[in-house]
Amino acid sequence: MFKNLSYLWMAIAIMLVQIFLLDELSIAMWLRPMIFPLVVILLQMEWRTIWALLISVLVGVTMDVALGGAGLYTATIVPLAMLRRWILFLTTRRSIEQGDQTSLLSRLSRGQLMGYTVTMLAIHHTMFFVMEALSLSHPFLLLATIISSTLLSTAIAWPIIRLFTLKIVTK
Amino acid sequence: MRVWQPLSDKIMHRLIEFIKRIYIVLLFLLIEGVALWCYATATPYTESKILARTSALGKSVSGAINDTRNFMSLPEQNSELTKRVAQLEEEIERRDIAIRELTHADDHKPIVDSIDSKFLYHPAHVVSLTSNRLRNYIIVDRGTEDGIYENMGVITPTKELVGTVVSCSESYSVVMPMLNTRYKIGGRLVDNDYVCSIFWEGESRYEVLAVEISKYAEPKSGMVINVVSDRMPHDVKIGEVESCKLNASKTAYSAVVKIAADMQRLGDLLIVENRDETELFNLMSTIQE
Repeated sequence: MFKNLSYLWMAIAIMLVQIFLLDELSIAMWLRPMIFPLVVILLQMEWRTIWALLISVLVGVTMDVALGGAGLYTATIVPLAMLRRWILFLTTRRSIEQGDQTSLLSRLSRGQLMGYTVTMLAIHHTMFFVMEALSLSHPFLLLATIISSTLLSTAIAWPIIRLFTLKIVTK
Repeated sequence: MRVWQPLSDKIMHRLIEFIKRIYIVLLFLLIEGVALWCYATATPYTESKILARTSALGKSVSGAINDTRNFMSLPEQNSELTKRVAQLEEEIERRDIAIRELTHADDHKPIVDSIDSKFLYHPAHVVSLTSNRLRNYIIVDRGTEDGIYENMGVITPTKELVGTVVSCSESYSVVMPMLNTRYKIGGRLVDNDYVCSIFWEGESRYEVLAVEISKYAEPKSGMVINVVSDRMPHDVKIGEVESCKLNASKTAYSAVVKIAADMQRLGDLLIVENRDETELFNLMSTIQE
């Protein structure tokens, strides 16, 4: 219960940072960090997919309402909830096994966690920026936006992820 | 009814199990679809962009489907084409038969000239002919029973002058050909429309004489002479001028004309009926009176 509540506060904090801080930053047109997918990325792998799906919808709708995404945030975060177990397996070769006593995320090494996070953020950012542009007339700018934003998002998200896995998941 | 009841229950149970297994995917597709629809219809830009993309996708998909459908319908198209070829072959055959009827005189029915419809053509076949006398005659196998009567023109299937019907029985007719010293007909130089009289002197079986050609006509070798007669169309050919000369008083030309029809190899003929013949005859009678 304590873990779930902590997770809820963490999710609210991440969304508030995204809405009131990161979205207000105007560093460059091709540099737009987004850390709100962490809410789905850091969900317990042991949770059933339906819960992950519903939480991702909630996050997406909240972001759409708050940032005027008109469905774009929801459409790009919901697939993460469906793909997260496959992505974790592809990047770390780890999956949920019968009899596991601890959370799968807490048992990942730093490298595995980084690989999983970067891949998930890259997938999200690719979907988001492609759907936002709806055009491939400037492919290099699009690619630069995806790569730079993914790297910056990962850099911002990494301390949160470490803090989360150390203080909340492993408790 | 009792047999069907467990079966339908079983199917329903399996259906529910199947939906239970895939309900997350269905829910995901539903949520994703709603979100995309909201985004697509949010602004005119996204609407037009997505509409253009989906239209292009739809076109390519429908194009692929059409290509496949066309490919799959090739046997049917081949069959249709084969039927069409058969129809055209039949059409050609019918036309061939019509031409044969025209030339071989197998049918007693007259054929209407499509260009000059006042003329009817009765196919006929030569029964006998002479060509080595001064008064030659041709007998053909058509008579009054076939609607043949005196003064009808006789030509070859390629519209070359042969002669005129001079006598008829029920089944046969006698034709006076150009190679008869009694035969006379009007001619016309095609190049300049000057008229002349055509007759045979009884010498060469390949030539007739054209006389009383105006000195202004200036006939030359190779000029074509056609028939001028109410008994047959004006595009019936008599022959071509071989040589010509002015008469002694230098008022008219006379010309030797090579006969177009081969008068010694006549087989199939056409007897020409002018449907206005009676009217013309009556008109001429009033003048003579």
